[in-house]
Order: sequence, then structure tokens, then C-alpha cells
Amino acid sequence: MTASNSQSAAADSVEAMSSVLRVADLSVTFKSEDGPVYAVSDVNFALNTGETLALLGESGCGKSVTLKSLMRLHPPHKTTLSGQIEITGDDVVAMSQRRLSALRGKRVAMIFQEPMLAFDPVFTIGQQITETVRRHTGCARARARARALEMLEMVRIPSAASRLDAYPHEMSGGMRQRAMIALALSCQPDLLLADEPTTALDATVQIQVLKLLRELQTELGMSMIIVTHDVGVAIEVADRVAVMYAGRIIEEGPVNEVLSTPQHPYTQGLLAATVHPGMDRAARLTAIPGAPPRLTRRLEACAFAPRCYKAGPECRQSIPRPSAVAPAEPGADSSQLRMVSCYRPGLKEDPRAHESNQ
Amino acid sequence: MLPPALEVLDLKKHFVTRKTLLGKPDRVVRAVDGVSFHVARGQTLGVVGESGCGKSTTARLLMHLIEPDAGRIRLHGREYGNVGGLKPVSELRQRMQMVFQDSYASLNPRLTIEDSIAFGPRIQGQSRSESRQLARDLLDQVGLNPDSFIRRYPHELSGGQRQRVNIARALAMKPEIMVLDEAVSALDKSVQAQVLNLLSDLKRDFELTYLFISHDLNVVQYISDHVVVMYLGQVVEFGPVAQIYEQPAHPYTRALLDAVPAQTPNSRKAHTVLEGDPPNPIDPPAGCRFHPRCPFAEPICAEREPVPVRVRPEQESACHMVAPQSGHSRHLTMIPLTSTLPEEAVA
Repeated sequence: MTASNSQSAAADSVEAMSSVLRVADLSVTFKSEDGPVYAVSDVNFALNTGETLALLGESGCGKSVTLKSLMRLHPPHKTTLSGQIEITGDDVVAMSQRRLSALRGKRVAMIFQEPMLAFDPVFTIGQQITETVRRHTGCARARARARALEMLEMVRIPSAASRLDAYPHEMSGGMRQRAMIALALSCQPDLLLADEPTTALDATVQIQVLKLLRELQTELGMSMIIVTHDVGVAIEVADRVAVMYAGRIIEEGPVNEVLSTPQHPYTQGLLAATVHPGMDRAARLTAIPGAPPRLTRRLEACAFAPRCYKAGPECRQSIPRPSAVAPAEPGADSSQLRMVSCYRPGLKEDPRAHESNQ
Repeated sequence: MLPPALEVLDLKKHFVTRKTLLGKPDRVVRAVDGVSFHVARGQTLGVVGESGCGKSTTARLLMHLIEPDAGRIRLHGREYGNVGGLKPVSELRQRMQMVFQDSYASLNPRLTIEDSIAFGPRIQGQSRSESRQLARDLLDQVGLNPDSFIRRYPHELSGGQRQRVNIARALAMKPEIMVLDEAVSALDKSVQAQVLNLLSDLKRDFELTYLFISHDLNVVQYISDHVVVMYLGQVVEFGPVAQIYEQPAHPYTRALLDAVPAQTPNSRKAHTVLEGDPPNPIDPPAGCRFHPRCPFAEPICAEREPVPVRVRPEQESACHMVAPQSGHSRHLTMIPLTSTLPEEAVA
């Protein structure tokens, strides 16, 4: 696939940076009763040590599917996965089930939106963390339990010692989410995958958990990928952001740059449609007309073209490849790379000129 | 002066979740505990608060989907209720309609869109042809092409389209007041913007009054004229939207506003984080219900429940710090507006 050329060339130039994760030409297709669903297509990205990437997009854009693919969590009999996934140099796509089990929870850990579903309701929090630690390090029970306590303290659960013997249902939502973070980090993973970790939480608790994640990530020097639909969450925790639409990454770069000067019309539309604090109440919101395409057909043109205010004939003919937005400065590291997949990228001239209510 | 479109006085609902052997209430959830507010005609009142604060229960009590234990509900000065001498609830439900968060669960899956919208008017005695025409007109009003949608079923529609249908169904009763309970919360941002624009068009065209319940403080700021902030079944602050957002008087309002993630890059805030979770409305704390989490709490806060006090024109706050001679050592004016923590804690 030529789509990855510019990306991999750029990745080569920064070989020196220690990269935790490399994803090249990742495509995920599901079998369904109505035929194949092309959930993720030709996704490329890389992640350096200590870096946080946000996968940002609306429902059905493929952000969670991409994340779960990194640990190969999709049911194998229903899923076709192609492309390359390398975690600290190891090929995840070719990995045996046995080696996958050693990877999951050890070098790569995951936290979910709903901690109640991630914990087993019949075991205490302490038992579940202890089991994970013993499974991956083989240490003695007492040592693993001490580690579990240490973890609960690290995520700042009050009176951690007594919470070790609590069952998941005995904790509040925010507390459970902290406990799940403790479980995920108990084996010191290189990479933490977070799937909408704060979406189900109340506002005052969400900001606690986001701050905690940011602190732990810096403290432990791990890398993190956070999937979110909320621009605010991306801004709060991420260094880089990859915006997804219809199964593809359409724009990627440092979070400040992408969100302050978005180049792709979809990113622009998404930001304009989001209500900002202190917006003029008399002003209408700039909605994106239409709806995202169904992914039951393989798309042969830009997926956003039917909703795009500046789409031209070329947009309806073939899929735009990712290209660098501004030539990266010589010696710039990959964390400064900025890519956009659009035939007509560029800043939006006048957001109100293309307003539509539909 | 005209009476407000909707006036709520001292609304209460306590759910008994456990009884003693003798059948006396043992454990009581004080879901809504003395809530009062009012909305002027043609205005939007935003209701904010975290889960369990009683905002959705309040909406259901207004519609009498749950029978209130106590309190008055007045529309344009007339009191409604299931008690003799009051205007009947059936009329209340026609004059006030509700749109829910879950657009799919709120539609009957076996009725076509047309039948769903025409159902209410038919019950009210409209002829079949009249109600059909009404359904077509309303679909057009909410931005769905009647010809292509009228025969469809709810599962054939996207979330945004279904929510438009729910809005059309509510409008079919020709209500004066719409209760929107997290009506746009489940929608993706690009679709949410479409529906918010639609709501402001409809408000103008049908001269509606909105009660807009949401956990999204940015959306509430955008759409509301006045805001009610709820905490554990009570109103802690009430006032014009600009005052509440720019000069919040209650420490909880400040904490809630401060918890909103930055929406623009470079504004990643140094959030002053509130400790702990919203407590359980079973056995709420004595005194001020917010005091266990409040950075300014003093002994008085655990002893006496604060009453709403006028802090500025139209703005009321239930906090000992705004009440003169309350026994609290601080006063609102002593605390800089940017601070959600006591000075010593900041330093």
C-alpha cells in the first residue's frame, strides 16, 4: 500500500527515538450477517516512549476497534486483521496465543469505560490484582498482595488496605475506575490502552481520573493511547491526537496544533459543532450536514466527501493519502510530525459561510 | 406581571428502599428534597448536576410520571395535581411534554413514525386524516422529509433522526413547555449541533419554554437563560446563566465549572480537583449536604442546613458563606472568584 510510504519514511528518519508501538496498514474487517464490515482501513501510526496519543472520533469511526486490535482482542473467527502491529519490536499479528497471553496485562494493559464489566464480581479487588501480578511475575502470594496494596495507594484510593478486601460492587464508580487503573498498572506495562475511561463518570470525578492518568503516565514513563469522543479529554491528557473518520485516520499531529489549526474539513467540522464555553448564545452552531457512511462497502473515495463543503471531483474518485502538513524541520522528532489525508487541506476560510442545519 | 410559565415549589420525593419489620421506613432515598424554581415564558432553564442529584427525578415528578410526595407545580399560575380542586394531570401532560435521552427506548418499535407522532392527537380525538397531516407537517418541521420517513420504523433511523421524531411527537400535543431530559447527550457532536439548532428554531416558531436537563455544562451555558444547580436532591444555586457561570457563589457550582475539561488547546487548566465522589442520596450528610467535600467547610456547615439567600439580582445560593451572620467565618466577598480552594490550601 502506497498510503503508508510517507509515514514509514518519516518513521525511518526518527529510528533513533525509542518507539513502543508501530502500526502499519492496519485493516480490520468483521463478518456480519449482512456481509463484511470494513471497520478499520489502512491505519498507520507510531508511538514513542512516554507519549500519549488520543484517538478521537465519533461513534462507529473505528477508534475502539483500532485500540482492541493492538492486543488482538477481537473474536478470531469473525475478524480479518491485516497489516503490522509491533509492540516494542515484537510482531503482535503473528504472535501465538500463548505469547499473546504473556503480553496482555504485562507489557500492554487496558482499561475500559465500564469497570464493573472489567472486574469479576465474585472476587475482591485485592484477589484480582494479586492474581494478575502472580500470573505475570510468578512471585509469592504475600509479595503480590503487597504489590496490590501499593497499587491501590498509588491510584489514591482512600484507606487502601481495607479496600483490598472489597468487592467491585462495594465501590463507587470513580473508585472502581481507580481500582481498574491499579489493576492495569500492577505489572508496569510499557503501554496503557484506555477505551473511553472517563465517559461514564461524573464531571468532578472525570477530572480527578484524567489528572491521575496524566500523573501516573509521567511518573511511570509509560506510553498511553486513549480513545475518546470528547475533544476536552484529548486536550487534558494527550500529547498527540489522531482524528478518525469512517475507519481511517484523517488527521494526526500534536494535540495543540491539530485542534487549534485543523487542516481536514472533518476535524474543522467536528470542532465547530462542539459547544465551547462562553460561545455567543445568539450564534447558531455549525453542524456538519448528513451522517457518516455505512462501512459495509469498501470505500473507493474520500469517505467525508459527501458531507464536505469543499469536496471536488478528485475527492469522489480516490482515497486521499496521508501527507505531511508542513515539512518537518530538519531533526524534528516524530512527535512533531503532522499528517492530513485530504486533497484540499487547509484552514477553513469562513466557518459561517457553509453553515447548514441539516 | 405575568405568572411564570412553570413554577415549582418545595417539590419532594423520598423513596423507601427498605422497611423495618413493622413496616416503617428504614432506609430512605431523598431523591428530591425541597426543590423550588421557576421559568418565565419563552425562556430556557438549564438544570445541571451529577448523577444522583435528582435532576431526572425532578423532571419525572413534573410530568407526574412519579407521584410527588409534596410540593406544588404551577403552570401560568394554575396549580396542577392529582388532588381534588387542582387542575387535572392529564391536562398538565398535554401542556408539558418530555423528550428523553434514549431515543430508541422512547419509541414504540412496532409503530411507524407516522403512527407514533399521530398517536397522541388521535387519543385526544383528532380524526385520522387530521392527525396524519399533522405528523407530516411536524416531520417537515423537525427536518425529516415526510415522504421518505413516514412509513419507517424506529430501528431504521439513526439516533439523531430518532431524536427528531421524539421531538416531533412531543410537539404533536401542542405543548407550551418541553422538558428535555439529556435529550442531546447520547448524540455525536456533529449531530448534537444539528439538534440543538433545531431546538432553538422550534422554540422560536412554537413559542416554547424549555426545561433543559443535562450534565454537559457547555451545552447548558449555550442554550439556557437561567440555570439551576442541583446537589443531592436540593437546589444549591439558581440564577441567570451568565451570573452562574461567571460569578458562581456556591463552592459546588465553582467546583463543577472548574471540572469541565478545556475545550481549546492551550487552555489546559490547573483544575482544582474536588475530592471524593458525589455521595449516596441514602442518608445524606447532615447540615449542608456538600460539606464533606467542601474545601471551605466549618463546624456550622455540619450542623445547620443553609437556606437559599439572594446574592445578586435574581441569583440565589444556599451556602452559609453568602448568608450574613450565619456563623461561618468567611464571606463570599472574601474569596476570589477564580479560587475553588481556601487561600492557605492554594499556597
